[in-house]
Amino acid sequence: MALLTVSVAAGGQTDSTEYMRGYAAGRAAAMLEGKQESPSPQKIITNARMLGVGGVNILDTYISPEKYRGTELRYISHTTRMREWGTRVSRQIVHQGYVSHTENRSGDGDEIAGMYCFSYGAHYNMALCGGSLTVKVGGTLDADIGFLYNTRNSNNPAQARLSLAVSPSAIAEWRFRAWKRPFTLRYEVGAPLVGVMFSPNYGQSYYEIFSRGDYDHNVVPTTIASTPSLRQMLTLDFTLHRTTLRVGWIGDWQQAEVNNLKYHSYSNMFVVGIVRSFKTTRVSP
Amino acid sequence: MKKTVLFICTVFLASGLVSCIDEEEYADSPRGNFEALWRIIDEHYCFFDYKHETYGLDWDEVYERYSRQVNDGMTEEQMFEVLGNMLGELRDGHVNMYAPFDLSRYWSWHEDFPANFSDTLQRRYLDTDYMIASGLKYRKLDDNIGYIYCGTFNTSFGDGNLDEVMLALATCNGLILDVRDNGGGQLTAASKLAARFTNKDILVGYMRHKTGRGRSDFSGMEEQRLKPSVGIRWQKKVVVLTNRSVYSATNEFVKYMKCCPGVTVVGDRTGGGAGMPFSSEMPNGWSVRFSACPMYDREGQCTEFGIEPDHAVGITDEDFRRGRDTIIEFARTLLNS
Repeated sequence: MALLTVSVAAGGQTDSTEYMRGYAAGRAAAMLEGKQESPSPQKIITNARMLGVGGVNILDTYISPEKYRGTELRYISHTTRMREWGTRVSRQIVHQGYVSHTENRSGDGDEIAGMYCFSYGAHYNMALCGGSLTVKVGGTLDADIGFLYNTRNSNNPAQARLSLAVSPSAIAEWRFRAWKRPFTLRYEVGAPLVGVMFSPNYGQSYYEIFSRGDYDHNVVPTTIASTPSLRQMLTLDFTLHRTTLRVGWIGDWQQAEVNNLKYHSYSNMFVVGIVRSFKTTRVSP
Repeated sequence: MKKTVLFICTVFLASGLVSCIDEEEYADSPRGNFEALWRIIDEHYCFFDYKHETYGLDWDEVYERYSRQVNDGMTEEQMFEVLGNMLGELRDGHVNMYAPFDLSRYWSWHEDFPANFSDTLQRRYLDTDYMIASGLKYRKLDDNIGYIYCGTFNTSFGDGNLDEVMLALATCNGLILDVRDNGGGQLTAASKLAARFTNKDILVGYMRHKTGRGRSDFSGMEEQRLKPSVGIRWQKKVVVLTNRSVYSATNEFVKYMKCCPGVTVVGDRTGGGAGMPFSSEMPNGWSVRFSACPMYDREGQCTEFGIEPDHAVGITDEDFRRGRDTIIEFARTLLNS
């Protein structure tokens, strides 16, 4: 029999009471079946759910040579999984969804953008400075899907965004105490190295692609040279009562130059969210 | 491990060193707007070579000539006039500049020619008890000839609409498909209607697009094929009526129909408009439209300046006075012969 117990803790701390309750239940169940349990390392899951709001600057020369500036609203679910012992590798899953509304400098044109980004990564963890500083290096596989819509263009009113990239990434976490309270300062950075993305050709219409099926270099291999982009996040975690809050800044600078078309989306935003940690224990017979 | 850290640091450093992907923004001044507009057209317009061959268009010479007329003390109206005249050099009905107070356009392709269509005359044929299916007006004429008037391809009719129309006119001896004054719309609607007049998958033309900023940077010619509709298809003779106001998607429709069996085109030369238009904008927010993806007939000839009818017929003054549409009457004679 395998028993899975999950303990939920506010404030970023494991609730040991609840964990022990589950552990005891698992042990009792194992004894009832006359079997010995051999607990494996506990899996620590840290999930941060954040909302961000900030400014965005968008250029897409398929739609317009003008830059559009406005506001972006973003939701981020950032999860890290790591075993308590036995491995130095942590897993990371990030879901991001955002929408933006932007205007050109004259105020006569509007663009609406929406994007969902999924990222799955693995990092090697190194403890430094007596354990107060953790540096993680690794990589992520990023999949993005979205759109950009210009409200007044004729046959080129929108762009579909679809890309897949492998991105080296690094994370630094510094845990410290101030005013008798624990804090965690966290910095995360990632940049796509290679990948593929969808793009119409320079003057190709979506009618040709989707109505006629006339493809022309629409799936484009990308490298850091054609998509020099950077995703950064600097956050501070602190505890308020039994809740761990996260505040910080996200700088998401995405760029691409493929099929002689230029694209950039520079987002800078303030984020605020809640951090929760879970421990998962598997009790094997 | 050190190598991995070094590699990742190199990646971030490299991404920081690579320059920003950006586009030059011109000043929102008469000079800046002139430069931005000239460049938009220079990098995206698709008929430079064809129009150079046809009437000697030289876009660099156009720059020199109009640049002299621009100064930063101009009013918006003066700038609009100069820039509109510059766009007029392209002789393209798909090229427009949209200011809040006016629309620059080149409409000589129909304004300089007889209309060859009159809704007053058309009312004599349609009467008042005609039927309408998603914008298609239709009825049986006295001599058992079916008549369909398609005034726009902006309304996308469904296959069900077309089935009903075909079924209602199935007993007619022939069909007049009148697309006069139809200025275009959706290419998908044009091909959907044309698909009712072929039983085979046929080559109807070619299409291509620009692949770079150079004036001659184009993709290969991609075949345009018309697939027969799975709905009710017309098997008898058809006459398509055209005039100079047949433009854009309707020009394409006439091009498709000329490839279908049993189809005769009667009327005036079509207006043309063989470049699928894209949009862009200037620093001051004025929107610009231009031909971006050129289309060709099945011989590879550009149809930007229109398609000749099989029978060139115009409405005569005498017929007009008598309330007769010369073009419709010619079509009826053809279908009844």
